[in-house]
Amino acid sequence: MVYAPELATILRISDTTPTEKIFTLQKNSGPLTFSAGQFIQVSVLGYGEAPFSVCSSPERTENFDICVRATGNVSDALHRLSPGDSIGIRGPYGRHFPTQKMQHKDILCIAGGVGLACLRPLISHIRHHRDNFARLTVIYGAKTPAALLFKKDLEKWQSDDTMDLHQIVDEPDENWQGPVGVITDPLKTLAVRADKTIAAVVGPPVVFRFTAQELLHKKVPEDRIYFSLERRFQCGIGKCGHCQLNDVYICQDGPVFSYAELTGRSEATEACLPE
Amino acid sequence: MPVHKFEDFIESLMQKAPVMGPVERKDQPGFYLFDWLENPEDFIPAYTGTTLPPKKAFFPPDQVLFDFTADTPPKIVPRQQTFSFFLMGVHPCDLAALAALDMAYLEPPAEMLWAENRKRAVIIGMDCMPDEYCFCTSTNTCHARKPCDLFFTRTADNYVVEVYSQKGRSLINQFALKKATDDDCLARDRHQYRKENAVCAHFHADVAELADILEREELQETWKEIAGRCYSCGSCNTTCPTCFCFNMHDAFDVNLQSGHRHRTWDSCQLPEFAAIAGGENMRKERWQRVRHRWHRKFDYLYRQFGMPYCTGCGRCSRACTADINIVDTTNQLIASARKPASE
Repeated sequence: MVYAPELATILRISDTTPTEKIFTLQKNSGPLTFSAGQFIQVSVLGYGEAPFSVCSSPERTENFDICVRATGNVSDALHRLSPGDSIGIRGPYGRHFPTQKMQHKDILCIAGGVGLACLRPLISHIRHHRDNFARLTVIYGAKTPAALLFKKDLEKWQSDDTMDLHQIVDEPDENWQGPVGVITDPLKTLAVRADKTIAAVVGPPVVFRFTAQELLHKKVPEDRIYFSLERRFQCGIGKCGHCQLNDVYICQDGPVFSYAELTGRSEATEACLPE
Repeated sequence: MPVHKFEDFIESLMQKAPVMGPVERKDQPGFYLFDWLENPEDFIPAYTGTTLPPKKAFFPPDQVLFDFTADTPPKIVPRQQTFSFFLMGVHPCDLAALAALDMAYLEPPAEMLWAENRKRAVIIGMDCMPDEYCFCTSTNTCHARKPCDLFFTRTADNYVVEVYSQKGRSLINQFALKKATDDDCLARDRHQYRKENAVCAHFHADVAELADILEREELQETWKEIAGRCYSCGSCNTTCPTCFCFNMHDAFDVNLQSGHRHRTWDSCQLPEFAAIAGGENMRKERWQRVRHRWHRKFDYLYRQFGMPYCTGCGRCSRACTADINIVDTTNQLIASARKPASE
């Protein structure tokens, strides 16, 4: 039955920020095969179902991670669970990042807030096959230093001389040494090889609007700027209607779209594209 | 089939399997609903239309998808009804709507729940006469027959029965019906002609033109004007025979040891329909939701499947709490799109 989830077990829960928890999960029936950018539907039986990006490396097959911010019925219920508890999952669903097209290109990953969860599999994939890609740059903006996700990864990426990491926060605390501002600040000063670059952007709609503006200004072509759009997916198979954006179903046709695919769609312009 | 044999026919169906058909609402005489027949005479052949469309036979307003237990690990048991039934007395507009839903639900990845439920039913259509809300001549559904197995048209003393499947034929075999004469066919055609001419509401453009018309940017003000009258109650969606959006939610039993996942009809007109985690709403403004409904009916799904996802049944106009009539409103949009830019 298409809507009945498979059982999975919580192996580990790690607190990364005051509001988000990382859950390491294992499907009872075997490994989960997915590609960077795909999402799964997670059930806490009795509370309902909600979509989450798989946020671990696609190369890690024995188990996988999701990052959960407690903002609703299901995510609140997830935060109350413990290792050993069972949940239900369906998927993976959706179109992933175009990792084939990205080969031998400069990859620019731009994450706002919890958007890093969706980009982490792509960054891991690129680092795993490092020779297949040219430059790797990650720009990550968060509201506060405490809200920065995946701090261990950030340390690793910071010391990895095959990639560049730019972190920026909006509201610094007394220990913050890095730059203060918005996510487009490091982008503005970044030297971008427009003819070789593919950008992947994940964050709230306001991040799409301003980074797209900046990337277009830097002459990155419209079909090489990718967004992953978030919606409250319910069915995952293009039927329930909740994720419709004009004529496309984000759960099936996306969630990863190029700017070129979104421009001309009025609901994309109203929500997240530059005017 | 002689008219006096009709109840015998229904009785013969009821002996084989449950029959769902139009019955009069006990709480509201003069209004009808599709329900399981208890007696052959409950079936009202000349019903004008039902409040809810017959899609509910395959896609109920509230349906349990699976049961679960609160054990560790939990048990999940899918629910799927398997009994066969007859869906009797479906008007052409509602047949067209079932054809529309077949396309939408079977579009890969197909929704097997719909497909399995559709296989359970034999569908018997029946012709009708329009009321002031009907506009099936504008949506090309006035004479729709797909997907029925048999189709009945009442003439003076007879029903002319059109046979569309072997399953349908097997149901009338025992009645030794005589072949329809030329006069019978003429009487049926006269009914169809009278029906067409009795439709009094019409779109002022061909339905095929609406997709382009609705995309005109200069309609912004018109959308806002229409939205100014809309209460966002969702009655239009819940009575629509082609709407297929839904919600899923869980409910525990009172013992807290077990529960069920439900699927319920949803409405894109409700403010929270396109809300996402973190407080954003993709169609926050009422005019965006109104525009979405029209686009879905006459643009997006029209372009995808080649038919409008509106069959001219008029239910949304009858149900609208703000008296927004789909024909008048569509004509208002057509007029706005055709208005020269200088005016």
